[in-house]
Amino acid sequence: MTFFTIVVRGLIRRPVRTALTLVGISIGIAAVVALVGIASGYEKSIDKQLDVIGVDIVVSNMSGGFLPKVFDESLQARIAKLPGVAETTSVLMEMESIEDAPMMMVSGREWGGFTWGKLNLMTGRMPRDGAEHAVILGRMAAEVLNKKVGDTVQIEAEELPVVGIVDGRSVVENGAIMLSLKVLQDVTGNEGKANFVDVRVTPNSTREDVRRLCERIKGIFPEGRALVAGEVVSNSQGFRIARAMSWSTSLLAIIVGVLGVMNTMLMTVFERTHEIGILLAVGWTRRRIVYMVLCESALLGLLGGLVGVALGALGVQILEHTTGIRGLLEPNLSPKLLLTSVTIAVVVGVISGMYPAWRGSRLTPSFALNG
Amino acid sequence: MNTMANLVFEGVGLKKEFDDGQVHALRGVDFRIAKGEFVAVIGPSGCGKSTLLQMLGALDRPSGGTLYYCGNSIPDLPNPSAYRAREIGFIFQAFHLLPTFTAVENVQIPMFETDLPASKRRDRAISLLKSVGMDHRLDHFPAKLSGGERQRVAIARSLANGPSVLLADEPTGNLDSENARLILELVVRLHREQNMTLVLVTHDMAIARLASRTITMKDGRVVSDNASAPDAHREKEQAIK
Ligand SMILES: Nc1ncnc2c1ncn2[C@@H]1O[C@H](COP(=O)(O)OP(=O)(O)OP(=O)(O)O)[C@@H](O)[C@H]1O
Ligand SMILES: [Mg+2]
Repeated sequence: MTFFTIVVRGLIRRPVRTALTLVGISIGIAAVVALVGIASGYEKSIDKQLDVIGVDIVVSNMSGGFLPKVFDESLQARIAKLPGVAETTSVLMEMESIEDAPMMMVSGREWGGFTWGKLNLMTGRMPRDGAEHAVILGRMAAEVLNKKVGDTVQIEAEELPVVGIVDGRSVVENGAIMLSLKVLQDVTGNEGKANFVDVRVTPNSTREDVRRLCERIKGIFPEGRALVAGEVVSNSQGFRIARAMSWSTSLLAIIVGVLGVMNTMLMTVFERTHEIGILLAVGWTRRRIVYMVLCESALLGLLGGLVGVALGALGVQILEHTTGIRGLLEPNLSPKLLLTSVTIAVVVGVISGMYPAWRGSRLTPSFALNG
Repeated sequence: MNTMANLVFEGVGLKKEFDDGQVHALRGVDFRIAKGEFVAVIGPSGCGKSTLLQMLGALDRPSGGTLYYCGNSIPDLPNPSAYRAREIGFIFQAFHLLPTFTAVENVQIPMFETDLPASKRRDRAISLLKSVGMDHRLDHFPAKLSGGERQRVAIARSLANGPSVLLADEPTGNLDSENARLILELVVRLHREQNMTLVLVTHDMAIARLASRTITMKDGRVVSDNASAPDAHREKEQAIK
């Protein structure tokens, strides 16, 4: 018989209680996996979008929260004149509730700008010109809205025909409704306004050149921000909030897990007072008792962590295929996240076992035997 | 003086109080027990017999007086668990087996505190169970064993690390007379064959008569200490001086 046998025997003696505790921890860990996975997946897909459309610097006024405040379109012309700028394009991005879909990204892009060129037409056609009141849908947006070429989409008060469906190669683009900037300004009453200027720097620019350019942009647009594509995601206030929320919700779930395991381990120690007395009487050290209780709770944490990671991954899969959400999520369940979650579960187990272990080891053998 | 070298236990003015001094379980007990002795401790219920045995086995701390094992103060042992694991075998009236472990596993529990390799534990436990006539019930849980069988397993466990002293607190108190006789024979045989010091608490005068010496207690004090064997008699003389 090994020490591990003793630890396992401690857990299987009360199978129902052990199972319920496992469910408790695993729900907590599943929440961590799902929330953090979805948040980081979203960040990653934004990052990918920027890559795909070839943006190097994004200029915006981030004081608006999730979506930046609008500014005058003329900013673009001023940025275009700066040294080291190859191309610029203004974008007006809105989040709108479209028919049954609660939040859809509507992206008005300056006609002829470089971001149009990266879209792959799947069916239909592109708008004829920047003045045509028509939209194209990203592949997943079409699926979510259940629209084909020839249908119409209502934005604010206007019904706009769908003329094409495109594959934009990133979740954000595929989930968006795209149209000419001018048309979106018309429809939403934002004449002459935009909330992003996407900038491409001249080829062969160094990091230092890009940094200097950002400084200059800030010089002409002090209330705004110029972010190098890779930094856009990590700096956006919206994402910071999303990340903070997913981790703080996770923290709550973890605290609930800790209380659950601690309760179970305390019950285990209390109901086993007599047995701990026997162990002490036959010569077990207090250290070994502590170690036994901690190993039990760590094992409980490990099992809960494994089950939780599986549950979380499964839950995310289900969410991904649920109508209404389908296509909007591209969760990022990285091995690092899974490993971190299991580690958190084990640490939760050990921490929760500390007090019960200490209680158990402090018993006087004769008292524990008789009492 | 040469008997001093053979001294296993020596208690002087040993006291034990419970509940902040409201209960005086031991009120100053003096005794000496030599190596290889078989001492019976008798006395009415509540006189402090179990309390005395728990002090000897380092299961609790005395409130006053001194208590030595082979010249070392028991309450001041640097490593009381090693003492409990290696020097002492404890047998209880209520057996005190672990319910979630089989017979052969129960016997292995104390072996975790020795250098015995894990692979040898089971074999040693089996041979100990064989020596108490329990090798036919290795994988039974205590709940599936009779009282006499449980006490045999408990005895095998007490021998796990080859102790030099056996402390038995009414080991036959929960058994019918036939099983009691068998268990008693087993304990006495172990004492004889392995020259183990045996301190046995009992209510039963017939059992006490098997011992080389009888300590009678009353109300937390030793009221008589009768040696029946000549060498133990000498011990008693020593103790009185
Ligand atoms: N943990 C304890 N707390 C309070 N009082 C105790 C405790 N243990 C023992 N006592 C008291 O100390 C006295 C001696 O108890 P002990 O168990 O040593 O008696 P005993 O001689 O073994 O009796 P019995 O023959 O009934 O087993 C009793 O009065 C008992 O009530
Ligand atoms: Mg007693």
